[in-house]
This record gives sequence, C-alpha cells and structure tokens, in this order.
Amino acid sequence: MRRAAILGYGAVPVGNHQRAVGDKAVLEHELAVDVVLDAVAMAGLSRDDIEGVVVAHPGDHTRQGYFHTFLTAYLGIAAHSTVVQVLGNGMTGGHAFDLAVHQVTSGQADCVLSVGAHFETAVPTLQHLDYSIRLTGDVDFQSVFGAVPIAWYAMDAQRYLHEHRIERATLASIAVKNRDHAMRNPLAQYRSPLTLEEVLNARPIVEPLGLYEVPGRADGAVALMIVSEERARSSGLPYVLVASRGFQHEGQHQINDQACDALDYDTLRQASARALRDAGLGLSDIDTFQVYAPCTIVEALGTEALGLFPRGQGAAAAADGQTRFDGRFPVNTCGGCLSRGHPPEVTPLYDVVEAVMQLLGRAGDRQVASCEHAMTICELGKYNASLVHVLRAYR
Amino acid sequence: MSALPEVRMQGNRPVAPRVSGFTRPFWDALSEGRLQTTGCVRCEVLNFPPRNLCRACWSRDLRWVDLKPVGRLYSFTRVHVVPGAFSADAPYTIGIVDLDGGPRLMCRLMGPVEASDLDRAVQMLVLRYDDGPLFGARVAAGIRTAV
Repeated sequence: MRRAAILGYGAVPVGNHQRAVGDKAVLEHELAVDVVLDAVAMAGLSRDDIEGVVVAHPGDHTRQGYFHTFLTAYLGIAAHSTVVQVLGNGMTGGHAFDLAVHQVTSGQADCVLSVGAHFETAVPTLQHLDYSIRLTGDVDFQSVFGAVPIAWYAMDAQRYLHEHRIERATLASIAVKNRDHAMRNPLAQYRSPLTLEEVLNARPIVEPLGLYEVPGRADGAVALMIVSEERARSSGLPYVLVASRGFQHEGQHQINDQACDALDYDTLRQASARALRDAGLGLSDIDTFQVYAPCTIVEALGTEALGLFPRGQGAAAAADGQTRFDGRFPVNTCGGCLSRGHPPEVTPLYDVVEAVMQLLGRAGDRQVASCEHAMTICELGKYNASLVHVLRAYR
Repeated sequence: MSALPEVRMQGNRPVAPRVSGFTRPFWDALSEGRLQTTGCVRCEVLNFPPRNLCRACWSRDLRWVDLKPVGRLYSFTRVHVVPGAFSADAPYTIGIVDLDGGPRLMCRLMGPVEASDLDRAVQMLVLRYDDGPLFGARVAAGIRTAV
C-alpha cells in the first residue's frame, strides 16, 4: 500500500491576528500565504509540484467565503487531484490532514497541500457563543438552555470530581503543566508563567472550570506538505511517515439519551487501538501524544481512554508530572489548547506540526528524548468521534 | 399523572425552539404540564429528544409516552460566560438528568445546586415564559436523600 509522509510545515504563532489594526492588520489568506510558502520551502518543492489542495473550513467568522477555491486561486495553483474544503467541528483540521494523506495513499496525487486559517478574535464572545450553542447541541431541545460548547466538558469535570473524589486542584494542575510546555514553544499563545494558585483563583467560566481551565479565543494558520513516501525518501530530507490512522463515531451528539458512563471516551479507545494495530505498534512505543483537549478535564479523560492511566487516575498522573515532556507519557508538549492556543478549525493541524517538530528533533527545550513515534488525536462533540494518526520519524 | 410544578419565568425564552408537525405534541403536552417523548413500540426504547424514528432499532412504529417527572442529577455546570441571548440570565445552571425509567436529558436547573447534589433526586418542572414553555428541573429539597 502506498504511504504518505509529511515533508514540510509552516505555522504562525497562535494569537489575536484578526484583531490586529493599522500596519499590523492582516487577512486570513495573507497569513495562509506565509505558512504555505514556509511549508513548500521546507519540503524543497515548488508551486508546480502541488497536485491537490485540502483546506480546513475556516470557521464562520472568516469573511472570505469559499475559502478553498479563493486561496488556491490567490496562490495561483492549478491542481489536478482535488481542491476541497472540509468541515468536522473540532476535527476540521484533522480531516484536512487526513484527506490530504488519503489523496496520496489512494494514488490520486504525489504531492498535496493541507492548509487552514482560522479567524475569530474580532467577533465579540457574546456573539460567538450565540452562534456556537447551535453547534454542540440539538438546537430545539438543548441549545435553548444555553449549553455553550465547553459547558458539556464542564459537566464531565463535575462528574469526574464527584465519582473519583478528586480535588479540583488535581485536575487544575493540567493547566499548569501545559503552560510550562507553552513557555517553551514559540508558536504558543500564552507564554507567561502560571501557578496552580492562579488557576484555582481565576474567575469561574463554566463551573467547576475557571478561566485557565478553558481555552481562550484564538486565530491561527498552518500548512503541511503531504507527499508520497517515495517522494519523501528521494528528497534526501528528514521526513515523518504517516504510519496509520483510526476513526470512530459513536452515533451520539454530545450526550447519550440512555443513562450511561459519560466519562468513558470510548471512541478514542477504539480509534487509537485501530491505529496502533495497523501501525504494528503498542501504546508503549508511542513517545508523545498530542491530544485535542479544550479543557483540563478532556486531557485527563483522553489519557485514560488511551489507556495511559487507569480510570479516574488521569488527573493525578498529570499532577505527578507523568505527562510532562520529560515524563513517562509526554502529552501536549506544545502547551495544548489551553496554552499553545485553540483556533478550533486548525488546532489539529497545529498538533500535527508539534508531533513533526518532536519527531524531527526540532522542539528545542521541550524536546522529548529519543522521539520515534507520535500520536495525534482530534475529536468532535464530546469525543462523540475521534480521529487518530500514528506518525513515525525518518531522520 | 399530576401536572409538573410550574415556574413563572420573566419575558420570552432566550432562544425559542422550533415546533414541527411531528414535535408539536411534545410542546403541547409540556404546556399542559406533562413531559412526553417518543417510545418505540417494537423495542420499547424511550428516545430523547422525541424522534420520528427509533434510534435504537430504526422502527417508525412510535407512540407518545408520559415520562416520570422525577429522576437523578447526573451532572451540572453553572455558566458564567454566556451567549448574548442569555445575557439577562447569567449566570445560569444547566444539568444532565436521568429520569426514573429513562431517558437521559439535559435542561435548565432552577434553585440552588451544589456539587454534593450529584446523584440526588430532582423534580422536573415546566418553565413558563411569555412566549411558551421550556422544561427544567430542581433538586428535590423535600426528598433530598444521598444514594
């Protein structure tokens, strides 16, 4: 079977790009150009090598519509394989990566650009939430109660603390760990020191979660050059092979309507098991995990579903340092959604970039030692679906 | 079955649900103080929200069933950063309720709710707004019992 590789990447620091004014003001496609040229240059390719373009749907606060064909035209790319925009809630950037890989593994193309630009910070939060309650609930039977997206995670947090008799500080420590990682990541949005006391004393957002336990608003742009394994090998450059992928949707939207254990992120268990099996690897072969986790609780439950820790022990394991970049199971070495930042439509693409940086030994003072395999994980809803990739270094 | 206790709310619903020909019986019953959903005649699963097919077995042989208006609080959150439409309500509390006999649903919670209320009994309510009803719940203070 043909395999795909990541040969180049480009990313701007996560931040408030849409809010910039005057000479600093920038448009979504202008940022996209910056990251595309970086990715193409790193891969030693040129525009005419690009056979397909897969674009992450840029979110509904981006002014330019039909962004995929607009951007392809702006770049002057004539593509024979595909030009398409994909959407899948928090999984959007993951699909943009996955579909580009599929273009290559299916034999449609040798060289595909995966790119996304997410803008939202110029839109007031009140207005943003009026829109986003329609995304993560039944609009007639759930959104009518004002269930903002992170409210669902907050209810998981409340239940988690209750079932496992865990102190909020234990869960909150995940925010501190991620900030420590972000301080070492030039692409991160939040890089100033953060103490556990500050996390615990911050104003409540969706109880029991406070300001630092939920994601801030963010913009970002990322590009990846996806090529065939043969092309990557013949380039003579270091590259990252896409060893396998796994996917699972549980057929639920947010919560099940039958009483069940809502803290069991079963889709992640299934998708990750499939990806590991197809890569011929075990969990202990994975050197770093990039887990889509908009809130502290999601990282705790994600690491439990992966099988890194027993049920109810994910938060305590993080508090114990086991998920630090120099710990037993390095998780979200970039700082994660909480501190690297969370421009939702492109967050999974940033996570691929972090995995590639780790695998190529370019992660500076947050580098995981002897990093050969990485797992990237994204989700939608409340892990109603999971998409997992296993990546392997060729240096 | 006795009617659900009613709570008089200020003004209109922050966001009004749409009512279709199919979902109208739900909203009409709620207006009359009854909480209903669709039950599958074939496999007997109670779906929520009401569905025009059974999610469990894909049967379209369904009937409207009165739900028990009491259950247990599975979880909750108090929302402090709210959508514009809910500005007047901030902060508000929402929660997940497992009704006795099923199903599980999410709704607004009225009255005080604390972390120690998880797994405690809740009473379902009709929230009566100027423009129509929503359903809600409150921790059943009179029958508070730890499980």
